[in-house]
Amino acid sequence: MIGAEVTFDVALPKVVWGWLVSTNMWAKSIATGTFFLGLYFIVKHPKQDAFFRKWLPILGIIFIGITLLVTILDLHHMFRFWKIFVFAHFTSAVTLGAWVVSAFVIVLLLAFWSWVTGNKKLLDRIMIPGFILAFFSTIYTAGIMGEATAREFWVFPAEMISMLLSAIIAGSAAYLAIGALYGSLQENIKRELGWILFGAAGLEAAMIIGELFFAKFHSEYAYKTVEILAFGEVAPFFWAGLFLTFIIPMVLVGIANESRKYQYAVLGALSALVGLWFIKHAWLIAPQCLPLS
Amino acid sequence: MRLGFLVDLSRCMGCMACAVSCKAENNVPLHSWRLRVKYIDQGEFPDVKRHYVPLRCNHCDNAPCERICPVSALHYLPNGIVNVDHDRCIGCASCMMACPYNAIYLDPLTNSADKCTYCAHRIEVGMMPACVVACPTHANIFGDLDDPESEISKYLKNHRDVMVRKPELNTHPKHFYVRGSDVALDPFAAERPEGYTLFTEVKFLDHIGGH
Repeated sequence: MIGAEVTFDVALPKVVWGWLVSTNMWAKSIATGTFFLGLYFIVKHPKQDAFFRKWLPILGIIFIGITLLVTILDLHHMFRFWKIFVFAHFTSAVTLGAWVVSAFVIVLLLAFWSWVTGNKKLLDRIMIPGFILAFFSTIYTAGIMGEATAREFWVFPAEMISMLLSAIIAGSAAYLAIGALYGSLQENIKRELGWILFGAAGLEAAMIIGELFFAKFHSEYAYKTVEILAFGEVAPFFWAGLFLTFIIPMVLVGIANESRKYQYAVLGALSALVGLWFIKHAWLIAPQCLPLS
Repeated sequence: MRLGFLVDLSRCMGCMACAVSCKAENNVPLHSWRLRVKYIDQGEFPDVKRHYVPLRCNHCDNAPCERICPVSALHYLPNGIVNVDHDRCIGCASCMMACPYNAIYLDPLTNSADKCTYCAHRIEVGMMPACVVACPTHANIFGDLDDPESEISKYLKNHRDVMVRKPELNTHPKHFYVRGSDVALDPFAAERPEGYTLFTEVKFLDHIGGH
């Protein structure tokens, strides 16, 4: 006998984690990415650090603020969010993430104070703990995905690396965009930011394409999820994300750095920032489109 | 004590008495289910067969929902039941993302996660879960897995075809099926005809809980 089909089941909720969670991941990438790259440029180019000492805390606070806001808005009991600190359950990556991000907010506030008061030593002192907190703030979502046993598609080992690369893409793109807006970035910094965006976009594109098209899927669920992602209802987000986040920025940044016309890099940066939201949204929604029965 | 459930699928006739009694006993709101019965049709006419599979929380020994809950709203009771503390739940829906059995829902009235608790309130006073009482064929068998003399333990001992859903996920469910088949428990993995028919297009609810 062949052909088994579910012919009766109840209507179950489909997308439970929606655009608010996509926005959480997107905004967090920008906040932590600008922190990573800000530290890198402050250490590597101490004579050109004024831009990064200013924008690292400002961008960080704005985007980590958005992250926290959408996280709380997504709770069905948003006024109970404080319970995560009082009744913390540390086997949960959600709890660990809440604690780590809260500590990261303190670091960002100190970085902001360092810029306001001109006390460079303060930021220098919190660089290492800040880096560690930014690192774990970036990857805790991979931990949540890893614990989401029901959605096998999210449980893949390279998710952590993918999130770090997303942060680098977002951070470099945000600095390029802000630099263009305020015209305060030196050419060598623009070029370096461009190459960082180029490299991170290339690596993450390779990782995603490799994962989706060449990896072995261990279940029908994961296989069907890839179909939904690439050809199903979230395909417009997925393909738009692939082009906007990886391909267009790589081409534009390549042209910009080769021809020294950096306005192309800014366009590439804006494309990457928009595309990153699309691809994160597609990634989040596709596995939820399958019934688990 | 380690409470568990077993469904003898050869006895289930898909009458839904268990699902209805569960709804009534636990005041489960519209569009939400703690227990549902899935129909799976197999084969091509005239060689066809219909399977009925009651689905409820598996009260896993290694419960992903308990692990991911950030505030321990989902927690183990000493008798093995995975219980929900509605007052503690923050409604993050992580448990819904973690449960591979789709057994958890966000109650649209309370905005808290909810699910089958093996009728913990009835067990506390020595009664059987509502679905067990309502089942006309005694397909639902409930009892203490640690007691070798309990009906469920004897059933497990005497049947060689004991199955659980998605064993590869290592959730160690305490909800067993006997006289079932792979097709019944995981129809997705079975060979199936192309395209949708009138009855097989999957419908989803757009709205859940708050927002």
